[in-house]
Amino acid sequence: MLGLAYDFDWGVLWRNPYGMYLLQGIWVTIKLGLIGWAIALSLGVLIGTMRISPWRWLRVIGTAYVEIFRNIPFMVQLFFWYYAGPMIFGTSLQYRINAIIGLNYYVAIIALGMYTASRVAEHTRAGFSSISRDHYHAALSTGLTHPQMYRYVIIPYALRIIIPPLTTEFLTIFKNSSIAMTIGVLETTFMSYKIDSETFHGLESTTGACLIYLALGLAVVRLMGILESRLKIPGMIGR
Amino acid sequence: MRKCFIFAFCIIFAMTLLGSAVLADETMDRINKTGKLRVGWREGSIPFAFVDPKVGKHVGFSVDMTSLLADRLSEHFGKKIAIQPFTVTPKTRIPMVANATVDVEMGSTTYTQQREEVVDFSYIFFFSETTFLVPKDSPIKSIKDLSGKRLGAARGTTNLKAIEDQVAAGRYTPDAIVVVETHPEGFLALKGGKVEAYSTDRSLLEGLRMKAPNPENWKTVDFAIAYEPYGYMMREGNSDIRDFVNNTIVWSIKTGKFFEMYEKWMGPKGVVPIPMSKAYRDYLTLICYPQAADWWKKK
Repeated sequence: MLGLAYDFDWGVLWRNPYGMYLLQGIWVTIKLGLIGWAIALSLGVLIGTMRISPWRWLRVIGTAYVEIFRNIPFMVQLFFWYYAGPMIFGTSLQYRINAIIGLNYYVAIIALGMYTASRVAEHTRAGFSSISRDHYHAALSTGLTHPQMYRYVIIPYALRIIIPPLTTEFLTIFKNSSIAMTIGVLETTFMSYKIDSETFHGLESTTGACLIYLALGLAVVRLMGILESRLKIPGMIGR
Repeated sequence: MRKCFIFAFCIIFAMTLLGSAVLADETMDRINKTGKLRVGWREGSIPFAFVDPKVGKHVGFSVDMTSLLADRLSEHFGKKIAIQPFTVTPKTRIPMVANATVDVEMGSTTYTQQREEVVDFSYIFFFSETTFLVPKDSPIKSIKDLSGKRLGAARGTTNLKAIEDQVAAGRYTPDAIVVVETHPEGFLALKGGKVEAYSTDRSLLEGLRMKAPNPENWKTVDFAIAYEPYGYMMREGNSDIRDFVNNTIVWSIKTGKFFEMYEKWMGPKGVVPIPMSKAYRDYLTLICYPQAADWWKKK
């Protein structure tokens, strides 16, 4: 019979210097999530629109982007950008890039943004295709031009429809940011493991990290919920 | 009422079992019962415990020591004790020993007071130094030269902690401390110029260097920033297995097997040549306490 003696010490979540570690970790997680989301949203909507454009080569580029970034595991992409990425630029430039202080942070943010963009693009495309052809025809028959049709009729509808799936992606970007730990980004998960390696109280520090991610997630859900109810059109989304 | 009584009796009975279990050495009992020694080995800790790509199996100094231990245990219990290997990493080795997944970790773990609070250590069997691997034309010659450089180390290692502590104490101010997951990744970061010096134990750095396509392009610096005594880990409060491991180490020194193993892995023709210093040789001689010739026999 193997008893496991374990003394809980929740103090590792706030005691000096461990509390500070966690706070620094949270700040990095928030930065990764928000900046990554800004890239994901702008790039994703752009790629998504490219995929329904009437020009064939734009559709090809959009589809290629989505399929490449959506089908490769995020961790592999991260390693690729961090270790192999700089090699693309040739020997001399490679050393200049590798010498950038905080390169792993930039790589993590860009990789997070580009990966999530492929998913946002798919939601955007789904949003456009969910609008019935009648809306397009009706808009055109009132005398609007093609750009006006998109600007005043289609996009306002499409963006509202995709708010719920975008909430999921916004949540996921915070969760995926924990993978940035593998290239040495000092975010929440990294810090909770660091506390574990210094105190051997991994149960407490991991529980702390769980609660932090849960709180961040709930905050995002709440924020998106407010956005959704503000923007809803009766009969479209939200009942 | 009757149910309550039975329930209470069961609880008291269970607690008695728990209490008595502490008295016996659970690890030795389990080895005897299962006929297996569960051992934690590292995958890339050259030359102590690593996977040889040619044979696809664990080899190294500590792996040979494990064989000696298993032999003595077989003699002790009068039956074959098989080695059941588990792969451990710097991150998992302490939890896996503490939660009894492995009976003993035999790799290259630094003995520290903080770790001693969670697990038990054997005698120290090796001393390594925390130092840096650099390109052969590196300007880093002394500790002062570390200022203004990008230094690398692996997450969860004592080497990273040593650098962080010395930076906090103001001994030098590097531009950045880049954290990686594994030593091969650290070497990759050094090759690409992400870090200008990569830190871990000298023996492991020499091991990395020897595995590189052109080892002469790299060197370990002459100075060290910290010293790392290695020990094997057992679960806390299992003194019989700890005594057995210590007896095996002392016995291997007395019979000269220790030095044969050292020669095989770290001698001039070994995987990682590390000359044995006089202080280290003296230490090994001095720790040899008096021991019966057949110490492993059950009394």
